[in-house]
Amino acid sequence: MYIRPVAPTDIDALCTMAKNSGVGVTTLPDNRQKMQAKLDKAVASFKKELPEKDRLYLFAMIDPSNDEIAGICALEASIGHDDIWYNYHVGKTVHASKDIGVHKITKTLYLSNDLTGSSEICTLFLMPDYRQNQNGQLLSKSRYLFLAEFQDLFGRDIIAEMRGFSDEEGKSPVWESLGRHFFQMEFSDADYLTGLGNKAFIAELMPKFPIYVPMLSKDAQEAIGKVHPDTEPALAMLKAEGFDFNGYVDIFDGGPTVSARVANVRAVKDSQLYTVAVQDETPVPDLTRKDGLTLVSNRRFDDYRVSLINTAAIDGTTLHLSTAQASNLQVTAGDSVRAVALRPRRPSDD
Amino acid sequence: MLVVRPSNFVDLTSIERLLNATDARVTTLPKDRDKLSEKIGQSDDAFKSGIDQDGPASFLFVLEDTDNQKLMGTSGIDTEAGGGYPFFNYRMDAVVHASHHLDVSSKVPVLFLSHELTGKTLLRSFAIDPDHKNSDAFDLLSRARLLFMACLPERFHREVIIEIQGIFDDKGECPFWDAVGRHFFGIDFNTADYYCSVKSKTFMSELIPQHPIYVPLLPEVAQGNIGQNHEAANRACQLFYREGFSKTVFIDPFDGGPVLTGELNNLFTLKQVRHKKARPSDVVGGLKYLISNRSLSDFRCTIGTLVDGIGETIRIPENVAEALNVKEGDPIAYAPL
Repeated sequence: MYIRPVAPTDIDALCTMAKNSGVGVTTLPDNRQKMQAKLDKAVASFKKELPEKDRLYLFAMIDPSNDEIAGICALEASIGHDDIWYNYHVGKTVHASKDIGVHKITKTLYLSNDLTGSSEICTLFLMPDYRQNQNGQLLSKSRYLFLAEFQDLFGRDIIAEMRGFSDEEGKSPVWESLGRHFFQMEFSDADYLTGLGNKAFIAELMPKFPIYVPMLSKDAQEAIGKVHPDTEPALAMLKAEGFDFNGYVDIFDGGPTVSARVANVRAVKDSQLYTVAVQDETPVPDLTRKDGLTLVSNRRFDDYRVSLINTAAIDGTTLHLSTAQASNLQVTAGDSVRAVALRPRRPSDD
Repeated sequence: MLVVRPSNFVDLTSIERLLNATDARVTTLPKDRDKLSEKIGQSDDAFKSGIDQDGPASFLFVLEDTDNQKLMGTSGIDTEAGGGYPFFNYRMDAVVHASHHLDVSSKVPVLFLSHELTGKTLLRSFAIDPDHKNSDAFDLLSRARLLFMACLPERFHREVIIEIQGIFDDKGECPFWDAVGRHFFGIDFNTADYYCSVKSKTFMSELIPQHPIYVPLLPEVAQGNIGQNHEAANRACQLFYREGFSKTVFIDPFDGGPVLTGELNNLFTLKQVRHKKARPSDVVGGLKYLISNRSLSDFRCTIGTLVDGIGETIRIPENVAEALNVKEGDPIAYAPL
């Protein structure tokens, strides 16, 4: 499996994928026209035809055995530029009176555009059949080597929005207790509209005054900053890379935003450069194991590639690749590559 | 005979007894002897200095049965709501959330904290003995204040307001308080109410939530109670509506009860009031009137019958004249009951 930038011919595959993703992946709209626009934007970004802040880097994971797209992921260079980026900041209001001995801290939601200008990792989607053999890890973390290589093109901070909590019926308590009163629509509809890039309606309908959290339902209060159970593994993965909850939540479902300084992300900070050697006999990566795997990127912008290799193939500053691996990465002997361990070296993570 | 007169320190224990006997909440009269004594002192000063006093003043009246010297009720006037401090209310307002594109439009009710009513004249401290609740005494005790104001209009704001008791149950549970204030004050309704009357006023400013409150986020019961009066206040509301008061967009920040407002000079009592010289007489009959003397420090108001006519003088029953401490030729004021 390897990662490459999306190509104009990927449109059908992307639409199929959007159909499969359903509610929760707001950045993958189930609408061909919008998907085409997104793809065009990504293609133009990799050609550097767009200003740096407007770029969207969309990557596809390819199964070399059939050349099919198994998943996609993206990097948004700078959020909140051609539209408005909304979050609730989970803040505090303190009410205190010495006279009657009261000191009360009230959690309060403030509508904010504070994260404007951050970079974002988004749109991660892996086809169900491929959810194995470290594919999710490869897909998600391939972006860090791109960030490491082209830090100048991104903001100081990188964020990720996590899907918020919803119950077995798919109901988001935060939406039911808050957004519904103002939007008069189902969560899935609001979610869909956002996915289409229609954020004007948020400005029109969203409550602008701060919200005192104790005035929301108990369920909603508990769901603020809480991820959907299916998203727990993704959250753990991000935390292991150095991301942390930054006090901002999604305005619809209350899902947390996590963030990190780009330079401090483990896979960015720890990545190193190696020189490629190509030979027939190289250690084969054991994709059933969590350890012993290394992400390798070809350091190229327009034909960026990432793949997984066996960590044992690294010898000093030399990185040994098989002919097939070198082909997937589009490198030849003597080329420079960037590599980092797939997982942080901490026993607790195994 | 039932007479309304200024309170004095002798009334202290009687007022305490009355407050314990009435179920209605009287936020402005503290169930605390020192504070109550302070209130009476302030009122005493106000009655004595009359129009000479600058700044906020607080008048406290009592209803006394002169046959047995029993105290049957209290009522009061603050010349300036807040008494020099902010007077807190929520203003019921709305914001429209609309998207033309999505064909969605909703008018969302919002409560905004407001000091708008600060400085207007406030009717307050009304408490009446349960046995007199459904009698003319109720009207006498409440409206005597208006007759008093008619004698001294320059001392009062042209707009008169009154906070009507909001909804709470027998156990003192108040849904509006539980949905709003309780989150910030961390105390139950009765305690908050008690603090309001005995603690310094700054705790209000310190604790009341400053951000607007979206009404749809409140529990339905609390929403439904906004601007609604407790049924125990039905009679008071009817009386004030008859007087020409009407509901405002303001509510009590604690229990959500309505605030009524009226233009002093347009109130029924003030429009109907006649100022004439008294002629005590043994003639009886006629219609029932509220009759008061025109003394400030020894203000008296009672109910008596008379036959209104033209001329400078008016015959009033002798027992009324006695109750009002007026002699032949003294000025009196009267208005239809």
